[in-house]
Amino acid sequence: MKKILVVLALIGLSMAFAQIKVGALWNITGGMSSIDEPGYNGMQLAADQINAAGGVLGQEIQLVVIDGKTDQTANANAASRLVDVDKVAVVGGINDSTFALASGPIFQDAGIPFVIAGATLPDLPDQIGDYAFMVPFGDNIQAYAGAEFAYNDLGAKTVYVLYDTAFDYSVALRAFFKERWADLAGADSILLEDTYKNGDKDFSAQIARLKALDPQPDVLYIAAVPDDVGNLVQQIRGAGLMQPIVGGDGWDTPILTEVGGEAAENTYFTTHVSLSNTGDMVQNFVSSYTETYGNAPENAFAALGYDTMGLIADAITRAGSADSAAIRDALAATQGYSGVTGTISYEGDSRVPNKSVTVIKVENGDFVFAKEVTP
Amino acid sequence: MKAWGWLGLVIAFIPLLIWAELGWNGYLLQLFMFLGLYIALTVSLNLVNGLTDIFSLGHAAFMALGAYTSALLTLPLSRRATAFPALPEWFQTLVLPFPLALLLGALVAALVAYIIGLPLLRLKGHYLSVGTLALLVIVETLATNMDFLTRGPRGISGIPVYSNAYWVWGITLLIIYLTVRLKNSSFGLAFSAIRLDDIAAASLGIRTVRYRLFAFVLSAAMAGVIGGLWAHLVRVISPHVFSYGITFQVVAMLVVGGLGSVSGSVLGASLLFLIPEALRYVERQGSFGLSQILVAVLLILIVIFRPQGLLGRNQARRRAKEVV
Repeated sequence: MKKILVVLALIGLSMAFAQIKVGALWNITGGMSSIDEPGYNGMQLAADQINAAGGVLGQEIQLVVIDGKTDQTANANAASRLVDVDKVAVVGGINDSTFALASGPIFQDAGIPFVIAGATLPDLPDQIGDYAFMVPFGDNIQAYAGAEFAYNDLGAKTVYVLYDTAFDYSVALRAFFKERWADLAGADSILLEDTYKNGDKDFSAQIARLKALDPQPDVLYIAAVPDDVGNLVQQIRGAGLMQPIVGGDGWDTPILTEVGGEAAENTYFTTHVSLSNTGDMVQNFVSSYTETYGNAPENAFAALGYDTMGLIADAITRAGSADSAAIRDALAATQGYSGVTGTISYEGDSRVPNKSVTVIKVENGDFVFAKEVTP
Repeated sequence: MKAWGWLGLVIAFIPLLIWAELGWNGYLLQLFMFLGLYIALTVSLNLVNGLTDIFSLGHAAFMALGAYTSALLTLPLSRRATAFPALPEWFQTLVLPFPLALLLGALVAALVAYIIGLPLLRLKGHYLSVGTLALLVIVETLATNMDFLTRGPRGISGIPVYSNAYWVWGITLLIIYLTVRLKNSSFGLAFSAIRLDDIAAASLGIRTVRYRLFAFVLSAAMAGVIGGLWAHLVRVISPHVFSYGITFQVVAMLVVGGLGSVSGSVLGASLLFLIPEALRYVERQGSFGLSQILVAVLLILIVIFRPQGLLGRNQARRRAKEVV
């Protein structure tokens, strides 16, 4: 009996040790939380499913989560902690380039692959180094898609552009949108370009300038981060401006309809996946997410977090080991990984995948699939 | 503290720094360096907000000036042509050594403090505070919009790592030393006189604006150096990093420690920096946000029960007596 107990204890012990540590760095508190928390939930869900199916390489995935607190210093400290204290093999997470740039170099120096879940700055992996990979498309792709959708599908001939000066993300979106729009409809058809800054609560000055335009633009393109979009639509619609509004994936947040209410109608945004897509992959994800967390995925970032974990597990399997350098090489060689947010391949030396862009329409308070665009 | 006391402190610190650099893991070392920077920030803000009657809310602006100056002057040439194509020829070819860049950062911060301080320091009380806050807004707005020089909100990334424990703590100890010496000198007495009653001080021949300007400029230079060290530690700077967030964090550290007390600044900065970091273990169990709530509760408790701060002079009680 004693012997059996010892053997059982040993087996238990060895199973407890057979774990692959995967870092999960997310801004769970602070301004990014409305998109980072769903991302973290998605990643956790994927890890649980992988473990329930036997793990990878016969080992369990242990997700080591840490909060970046929407602060650069806290992100840098969190990254160091994952590297030096938790000794993770690979890290996933982060939905904004400002924070990816604070933590990325620490992973790069330590030789730990960093899979960026939702930050869409196209040159982000180049700025950090060869250990950084992106799960989403770059901002250039989604801004091109937004311009093409507004021009081809909404039939717009003139446009107004408003952007947040506080983030690389919104500044880049506006630049790429203008580039493609100028190709499609000519630079003259951008009737006005205006700015605001994240945290502004009152947009009356911008709206007054927009209202003064004669003729009025057909479409408003607004490059914004999640916490501002509800206020923006409220005030724009409140001023009697009813044109279609087009935005980027920063609009893919429950805040849009919760704060915006009816004002959010007739807005469109480009994002990573439509959760109302009836394909098996998406519906399985939506139902297991709903089952686990008691609510449907809040936005596409939940799916990106899910794919981040899936991509990492896929790379570990193909690498055949939990060695960081081997995982990096396997990640770089990813071809045709099929995730909830589309198919991920890294072509050549690129560490940004080519993916198609989903356009979502807000209709009766719901996010409804409008179109799939491949710019 | 006597001179030999300071010498002893520095000598005692050297083995600690060597141990930190060689023996500690990267995480502990990084925490240790950020702790030094926060202590230096709080002590240098105390020089103005604690010792004189100025309550500055513009400290982060001087950090930004130092950080941008030092980052731009040390950025590898390979990054400059692509990131800053509009800047002149000399900039595309000149890479300064780190100490010189830090010094220039301090000079730029001090120069701006001098120019701004001349008119600003004639204001008093809340007006002066709002004036310094305006400086913060102006510097942030310029950094956000002078795209050719700062890359705007995208910030500057790829800044070489030069900050280490020796640099950070060497400068932190220097700032503590200077502030303590100043507090206990005839300057410190003049600051006290101005703080307690500036009209009486002026009537005794103390040139109030000149003394305030001296403290303001010195404190700005310190913030400039700290900003430079910051940039070369975090490797990426952007305008909104040096904004309200860090301003009020450092003011909170100052208030918790106690206005006017240098040891209080060290304690306040250490507590407010280390408590959230220590709570990471607890937070990981699913209570994210706990550290922010605890720090907020701590602040409220201190403001209610110990308004002079943990080690601060008993200003509230003294004021109360004066009123009676």
